[in-house]
Amino acid sequence: MEGAAVDRRSDAPAVNAPMLNLRDITKRFGATQALEGVSLTLRAGRVHALLGENGAGKSTLIKIMTGVHQPDHGEMLLAGRPLRLASAAEAQRHGIAAIYQEPLLFPDLNVAENIFISHQDRGAVTNWRQMFRRAEEILASLGVALDVRSPARGLTLAAQQSVEIAKAISLNVRVLIMDEPTASLSSHEVAQLFKLVRDLREKDVAILFVSHRMEEVFEIADDVTVFRDGRLISTRPRAEVTPQRAIADMVGREMGLLQPRSPAKLGEKLLSVRGLGRDGAFEDVSFDLRRGEVLGFAGLIGAGRTDVGLALFGIEPATSGQIVLDGRAVTIRSPRQAMALGIAYSSEDRRQLGLSLPMSIATNITLPVLSRYLNWLGLVRTGMERATAEAFRRRLAIRTPSVDIAVSKLSGGNQQKVMLSKWLNTHPALLILDEPTRGIDVGAKAEVHAIIGELAAEGIGIIMISSDLPEVLAMSDRVLVMREGRQMAVLDRDGADQESVMAAAMGQSTARQPSGAEA
Amino acid sequence: MTWLRRRIRPEQIREFSLLLLIVVAVLIFGSAIDNYYTSRTFNRIASSVMIITVVAVGQTLVVLTRNIDLSVGSIVGCTAYVAGVRIAADNGLPAIVPVLIAVALGAAMGAINGVLVAWGRVPSIIVTLGTLAIFRGLLVDYSGARTVTTDSLPPWLVDLPRLDLFTLAGLHVKVMVALALAIVIAFQLATSYLTFARQFYALGSNPDAADLIGLPTRRIVLTAFVLSGALSGLAGFMTLARFGNITVEAGRGLELEVVAAAVVGGVNIFGGSGTVIGAMLGGVMIGTLEQSLLRLQINEFWRDAVMGLLILLAVASDAVILKRLRALWARADLEMIARSAPRTGEAP
Ligand SMILES: Nc1ncnc2c1ncn2[C@@H]1O[C@H](COP(=O)(O)OP(=O)(O)OP(=O)(O)O)[C@@H](O)[C@H]1O
Ligand SMILES: [Mg+2]
Repeated sequence: MEGAAVDRRSDAPAVNAPMLNLRDITKRFGATQALEGVSLTLRAGRVHALLGENGAGKSTLIKIMTGVHQPDHGEMLLAGRPLRLASAAEAQRHGIAAIYQEPLLFPDLNVAENIFISHQDRGAVTNWRQMFRRAEEILASLGVALDVRSPARGLTLAAQQSVEIAKAISLNVRVLIMDEPTASLSSHEVAQLFKLVRDLREKDVAILFVSHRMEEVFEIADDVTVFRDGRLISTRPRAEVTPQRAIADMVGREMGLLQPRSPAKLGEKLLSVRGLGRDGAFEDVSFDLRRGEVLGFAGLIGAGRTDVGLALFGIEPATSGQIVLDGRAVTIRSPRQAMALGIAYSSEDRRQLGLSLPMSIATNITLPVLSRYLNWLGLVRTGMERATAEAFRRRLAIRTPSVDIAVSKLSGGNQQKVMLSKWLNTHPALLILDEPTRGIDVGAKAEVHAIIGELAAEGIGIIMISSDLPEVLAMSDRVLVMREGRQMAVLDRDGADQESVMAAAMGQSTARQPSGAEA
Repeated sequence: MTWLRRRIRPEQIREFSLLLLIVVAVLIFGSAIDNYYTSRTFNRIASSVMIITVVAVGQTLVVLTRNIDLSVGSIVGCTAYVAGVRIAADNGLPAIVPVLIAVALGAAMGAINGVLVAWGRVPSIIVTLGTLAIFRGLLVDYSGARTVTTDSLPPWLVDLPRLDLFTLAGLHVKVMVALALAIVIAFQLATSYLTFARQFYALGSNPDAADLIGLPTRRIVLTAFVLSGALSGLAGFMTLARFGNITVEAGRGLELEVVAAAVVGGVNIFGGSGTVIGAMLGGVMIGTLEQSLLRLQINEFWRDAVMGLLILLAVASDAVILKRLRALWARADLEMIARSAPRTGEAP
């Protein structure tokens, strides 16, 4: 009731008719009140951004709009008509499609078929040739190069997300919902995506957009709604909000934006990598890392940054090159061996490589260093375990009724915080963080950055792989830029800025030309 | 070379390598057994393989959806017996009637499995382990331990297994073998091109995602089990024609051979990947080994051991070979993308 009234004075003319109306939506999961009396209006031809801390209820609202969850209370109207959804298929028949926070691909199907799997107009018989061609076109319009004939198994998270985006934009929809579609994309792919979003807006599609990256929200949104603790705090046209204002609404207090880390004192050389490569993934990567140093990895989708991390942690061992750790030449063939050498790796893919979803928060956090939590009988000291988990819960504001709850019950960002806690707690010699703040809200992000700074100050060598360029620039002592499996440049703190990194990542011969021509 | 790699996927090479393995096996047996390369050997292998293959096609559909159908042997037994009793009672019935009876009864039995798995949410291995015993029990009860005998059947049915469709270079291609082949081809095409059948792969590949994007998951599972039942029914009729004598033991143990055929043929037991042609080749491999080891007069227990070894080898080599191939392919892709780099670079 309130929500509909608030956005009365939008700056666009009256052509923006309400497309999807939510009225007084309430949803409970057991003890958790996920949504309480939320009213929201999506209008044709407008991009509506939804902001809120982790666990504020954004994804839950989206799943109600697509029929995955049923609201306990409240109603929905589509173009003025009451709407009841029993399943996602029904929502799609009404022209409502969503990109969910966690990619939902079919690993055995090829990329093209993943894009078209739920298309109603695919016809009863598949024309493979045409499907491959159309898939290639759609991906090209996103600026992503993927082999549409290869199975989706083993795609990096960013590639998976691109496929999800391709799937949704290729549908003929009236309402398009995107739950953190950009969380693991770099600015190049984000720019492409936004171009497509603007096209859809021209075609009078109503769009809901969720992201924790403020600069994106303020670039694309027409309206901004902020959630806190399952309640709608405000809905305003973008012109009437500032990032500071929105963040204050989100967290309920004033908060600073991204702060550059003050660099730690660098210790002796910890890691030296020469000519590292893995067949079919990356080649000829060479760099040094000193104790207390943060080395950022930047690059576009498919640049092979994650593959380097997987090789250093032994998940997909390298096939060529040398690794010298602490002055000793080592070959790393398994994660077990890597952990014994004092290496920790926090994966970008929390669902597949990061967390045991049915297990509790506390057991997930202590799992890699469980031996520290055993008593003299070899039994787990659950009190100590819980104390550690509670400490991280407070520090990173993990939103949960208790640390004994299964991780699968948490919101995406809160799952990410649990995984991060797990690896931060190991205190390794070398810490590899792959998209550490993916899907984490601004408040907690600052906390994560502070912890990373502390760990570096303790003398831990840190490799930080991130698609969030401002984050990489703020945190790193040096930045290694990759492109299509090759190392393009290693820039030091003074030489690394938005332009030089992007130029290297796009393969333009770089850095030397002060401000290279924008492509 | 890169062009070839773009057209052919590692998954397809698997079927090709199985074909090669069969050829190697035939060459080895040919040198060890006198008079091996005769149309008699061919016919023996073909008629033992055809029944396994028809059932394996249905099993493949079920396994693709991340389920398993262990009741197929019992369905073959029931349908063979019921169709046999019916035609024995009235030899003048048109040929299509016993076929229809067997297929319809098989489909109905498959539907029971399907409903219990899809709506009852009971794991398929439990459901079909149960119906395996129940269907067999019903058969024993219904038949009163009597048997259908060859002399009670009409002559056309008794002669059917020996009926040639055509003769090619001394090889007599039987009508029933051709029928099995036609079914393989039809289902291979259907699973490659029909949108509904593609959803079988999707469901087996990621059931949670299938639910969330709104695929009709229950209908898919039901369809797979009904088709498996119907094809087992057809195999029941073929069993009746081939043996003539049908006891309550008919089709017992067939489920293991069928699952083995599918697995050896590269159908992933955890769902989502594999082909109908692969399952057929798996059946041919098993049939060839079985018949040839029989000719070599190798002890039955050793024969089973060899089969078991083959299955383990198939599954293990599958994982290793596929991984290698994928790495090779990935490198080709990387090269291709690198070469097209200028184009993607200036995309904005
Ligand atoms: N299936 C579920 N069972 C129990 N609780 C749930 C379930 N799904 C969500 N919740 C709870 O509901 C609340 C809202 O979660 P939701 O996923 O909507 O948050 P969100 O705003 O999307 O957060 P994020 O930014 O981290 O993605 C959280 O406290 C979460 O723990
Ligand atoms: Mg969410």
